[in-house]
Amino acid sequence: MFSGSRHAINSSVPDSAIILDSLEKSFPPALGGWDAFLQPFRRPTSPALCGISLQAKQGEAVALLGANGAGKTTLLRILATLLIPTRGSALVAGSDTVRDPATVRRQIGYHAGSDLGFYSRLTGRQNLTFFGRLNHLSDLATARRIGELSERLGLQNSLDRQARTLSSGTVQRLSLLRALIHQPKVLLLDEPTRSLDALAAADFRRFLRTEILARQGTSLLFASHTMQEIEFLADRVAILDEGKLLAFDTPAALRGATSSATLEMAFARLTGRQLSQEEEHVG
Amino acid sequence: MRQLLRDLLLFFERDLRIAATYRSPFILEAIEALFGAATFYYVARFVDSPALREALPQGETYFAYSLVGFVFFDYLNAALDTFDRSLQEARDTGTLEPLLVTQVTLPVMLIGSAFYPFAATTLRIAVYLGWAAVFFDFPLRTANWVAVGAVLLATLLAFSGLGVLSAAYLLLFKRGNPAKWFILGVSSIVSGMLFPVDILPRWLQLIAYLNPVTYALDAMRGTLLDGAGIFSIGRPLLILLAFGAVLLPVSVLVFSWVLGRTKVTGTLTHS
Repeated sequence: MFSGSRHAINSSVPDSAIILDSLEKSFPPALGGWDAFLQPFRRPTSPALCGISLQAKQGEAVALLGANGAGKTTLLRILATLLIPTRGSALVAGSDTVRDPATVRRQIGYHAGSDLGFYSRLTGRQNLTFFGRLNHLSDLATARRIGELSERLGLQNSLDRQARTLSSGTVQRLSLLRALIHQPKVLLLDEPTRSLDALAAADFRRFLRTEILARQGTSLLFASHTMQEIEFLADRVAILDEGKLLAFDTPAALRGATSSATLEMAFARLTGRQLSQEEEHVG
Repeated sequence: MRQLLRDLLLFFERDLRIAATYRSPFILEAIEALFGAATFYYVARFVDSPALREALPQGETYFAYSLVGFVFFDYLNAALDTFDRSLQEARDTGTLEPLLVTQVTLPVMLIGSAFYPFAATTLRIAVYLGWAAVFFDFPLRTANWVAVGAVLLATLLAFSGLGVLSAAYLLLFKRGNPAKWFILGVSSIVSGMLFPVDILPRWLQLIAYLNPVTYALDAMRGTLLDGAGIFSIGRPLLILLAFGAVLLPVSVLVFSWVLGRTKVTGTLTHS
């Protein structure tokens, strides 16, 4: 379960959706004033990820769990080819994120969890058509996918309204639709239910489980702070703390290994963080 | 190649759709152009004299001379400004990240995003010149439009490299457009925008002769006001194309390096 050792990973494992091998990422230190001009040229010395190694199987749902600044978003952004790792490698569906980013981008759908990212003056449909065609779908295939997915995500009535008139929750669902439009093999989600109300979030999780994971067999790597979401969706959980992978196993195994009643308690024990007495008692 | 063209046109289509949701700016800009043309006309009437006409290169009126200088600078501004502005907009609206995980690369995105601003600038210039011809007797009938098109295209190629360098600067340092500041600032004095370079001190004239904007403006005035053909503006055209041939590949290389660097520093989408 515990993943402290850095074992070499065989990158030719055929059923792996994601392979991280000794992945490290550091950023240059933040500088202010005139020194800020030198920042782009400074050596990356502030570690964000420290030797992460893990594999996610095809069709598997893996949750990234960690406090703010644990490295979850950095990891997702490396897999989305938006960041270059300092050391180690990251493979998505067999392609290296640094050596073959175009192939990686064909395989992934990425939703950063933000409710920005659309052209506010265009309608939802115009936005989605634009991004679908940038993913090299034909006009017909784009229209078909928008039709299919909007029905499942309950977006039919919002598609022909300008994006600026849509609620945060609707924009989040549009953003998920955009991530799915080209039928990616691997879906990367960064706190996907952050802007959704409780009911919409529950709907959204059900959609992910029944449609994306069970029916389409898409692999899912998502960052979340919501234990309920992680318990509901994740086959395995990667617990990150200050850039280090502390554990990577099923929720039940994590609870068992730490003698915890809840995943929250397991997380607290693994990271050495304190839960309130009330939370311990509920657990 | 077909896919690349399709990708580029997607950005033009996007910008056209966005522009279509704003109705009034075009009408307001057209009215502004009329006032602009009128201002140049009355300033020219105020300063015009036989001596001034003799001092101007092709013996044209100061109105025609200054108006061509002004509209040309509008075009130059578009070439220098478009790339970093489209990058800044994508960053500020949060669309940069979703764009970067599609199949389209950032250089294609920047070039595609330049199509609409160039087309809009061309239209704005056409409106300017149209008002000037209708109300203030601007000599449009003498223009050689094929040659005018060639000069504008060569200007775009020559100065787009500087625009791409500006976008690279923006990616790296997050604010500012030094290429625009330098080229427009220097060229407004030493290129013949509003007065011939012959009246400048000798050392400034030397700078003017090293400045490709001077040649582009000469060629523009020759084709628009004197009907000069492509062969008679061969020298300035070659100078502009040579400038572009050196600067464009250099700017693409610099931009690629900067893009990679921002993926290392994690500042690609920072503002």
